[in-house]
Amino acid sequence: MYFLGIDIGSLSCDAVLIDDDENVIASSVVPTGARNRESIARVSAEVLRDAGVDRGAVRATVSTGYGRDRVDDRLASVTEITCHARGIAKLVPGTRLLVDIGGQDSKAILMARDGRVVDFAMNDKCAAGTGRFLEAMARALQVDIDEMGPLAAGAEGRQTISSMCTVFAESEVVSLIADGTPVNEIVHGINRSIAARVAGMVKRIAPDHGALPAAMSGGVARNCGVVAALRGALGCEVAVPALPDTVGALGAALIARERCAAGAAAV
Amino acid sequence: MMHEFFSNLESGLSKAIDAGEASPRKIYARELARLGTRLYGGNGGVAWCGITAPFDLLNAMGVTSCFVEFVGAMLASTGVVGSFIEETDHMGYSSDACSYHRAVMGASRKGMVPEPAFLVGTTNPCSGGLAVIENLARRFGKRQYVLHIPQDQSGGNVRFLAEQLRDLSAFVAAHTGAPLDPDALRRAVSNTNEARALMAEAYEFAKAVPSPVATKDLANYGIVMALFLGTDAAVDIARAFRDEFAKRVADTKSGVPNEKVRLLWIQNRIQFKNGIDDILAREYGASVVIDELNDITWDAIDPDEPFEGIARRSISIPFNGSIANRVAHLKKLAREYRVHGAVNPCNWGCRQGTGARGLIEEGLKEIGVPVLNLEVDCIDSRKFTEGQFRTRIEAFMEMLAGRPSPWS
Ligand code: SF4
Repeated sequence: MYFLGIDIGSLSCDAVLIDDDENVIASSVVPTGARNRESIARVSAEVLRDAGVDRGAVRATVSTGYGRDRVDDRLASVTEITCHARGIAKLVPGTRLLVDIGGQDSKAILMARDGRVVDFAMNDKCAAGTGRFLEAMARALQVDIDEMGPLAAGAEGRQTISSMCTVFAESEVVSLIADGTPVNEIVHGINRSIAARVAGMVKRIAPDHGALPAAMSGGVARNCGVVAALRGALGCEVAVPALPDTVGALGAALIARERCAAGAAAV
Repeated sequence: MMHEFFSNLESGLSKAIDAGEASPRKIYARELARLGTRLYGGNGGVAWCGITAPFDLLNAMGVTSCFVEFVGAMLASTGVVGSFIEETDHMGYSSDACSYHRAVMGASRKGMVPEPAFLVGTTNPCSGGLAVIENLARRFGKRQYVLHIPQDQSGGNVRFLAEQLRDLSAFVAAHTGAPLDPDALRRAVSNTNEARALMAEAYEFAKAVPSPVATKDLANYGIVMALFLGTDAAVDIARAFRDEFAKRVADTKSGVPNEKVRLLWIQNRIQFKNGIDDILAREYGASVVIDELNDITWDAIDPDEPFEGIARRSISIPFNGSIANRVAHLKKLAREYRVHGAVNPCNWGCRQGTGARGLIEEGLKEIGVPVLNLEVDCIDSRKFTEGQFRTRIEAFMEMLAGRPSPWS
């Protein structure tokens, strides 16, 4: 029997299929696009095709992410906070502090040793410090967001981005480019700005976070520049799993399996 | 338009109540509708006030009085607040200011705030409210009386405020032409004390496990009841709630079926429709069993020293004094009601909501009660994103489900 986790984020829709022994059989990521249900159908079909598994062999599906209620035939929907914590506990055992930077939310999650959420903080009011922020900055720099990571290499850290507001920060970046500021310095400044926002949330829930094993999940964790800035802001090592985008979907699949094991009726 | 709205509401509620469909909430709402009908009745004699004004004194003097924040809450609950808030952009109000105040100021620009005979400002709980009173006083060219409410309960402070209350009664008499009738004040104090005792009993029932209280039952109750103090209506409403909760407890009927999670709500509720009651009850068996402002923090008023008693009450509200007092009060409520978690909406632009939130969170954590800090504008639904709100509430509920109860 298999268990499916689907994470419908604002930017990407991710699916992970696991077996009875919690082994990941396949995973898939597609852009969310404007039509959630189509993306959900696509990502589910892809992951089942890659795994070579029939839909009928899936015992239960748990959905997460902001579009979690749009998944039909689900056993349950669970928030991304709980799912990311559960997923990272499997991938990076011993993690006590998790930073998940998603498309429109960034979260700091304090975890117990067994992966339970003990406390969490999220960005409020605006998208500063989220994937959308990074996307807007990439646009201003006219670079592909996936190529942004290494661009901060060699920066001396001379440049800061002072605007918190995504729109103002975008104009700030445009002015810096016009002034001839080296791209690596600008990108470094952007990374530091995101890291400072997220580190603020971490400090709120875990003032003594220094001694806690930390990890990062979510698509932005693929950006080595942001990860390095976060390490700097937190003053500690931050582990990143191989497929950070799918941590939430993995957590959802694990919860599906646990709930079935605990006797919940599968659908 | 507003008069029609309130009188239709009043007659609809009266019909339902007379047809045997009475509930405490309907009786309470009918009284609010009656107050609205009087405020917007065009008969003059209205006093716009601060939240901690002595409404029993004003009721005893026959003045229809209300705190200005009521207008903001009312516009939010009817879903039309946006255009009123926008109106204040032309008045020098910052877009970060408390929307209770922006809404009432916008309403005044659009002619939706009836002209008062006079105004009574209070320096507590916030200077924003006082600024509205001053703005309205200028706008209508009316006189205001400002009550300076001290921060703690020393004998000197009580005397200082009691003296102001005596002076206020002379100020009111100068406007109404009728001096304060000591018998009317005595009756008002007696009603206040009776309502107080009934409210205290209802709150005692609310502490039962499971609690008879559903999230909606006591929303805004404590703060709005202040408006009716001194009247027979206050006693009737308080009795209706007391009787209902007593019955539910006797029948072991909880506010939400299969109560699993008990919550403390800090400061104000969100005033526009937001679905939180439903999410909490249906999906998590959770209920807000206690609000910070639903507590009796004052002693019964001595009818022989009414001004001193009213003064003590005004000083006693949890928002007054140091944050340490406020945190101690919240801890007391959390213990008494055995709550599993607390929700702090941290209303935008409110120093009470945001300035204290770190200390509140720390204080409640010390006794094992986690706090969900939201950043919601409790009035302006245009700033509300349902998905984000849901995720925070649901994640908090999931987190509570994985924790041992602080009271087991
Ligand atoms: S929310 Fe805060 S600022 Fe607004 S009326 Fe209440 S105490 Fe004053």
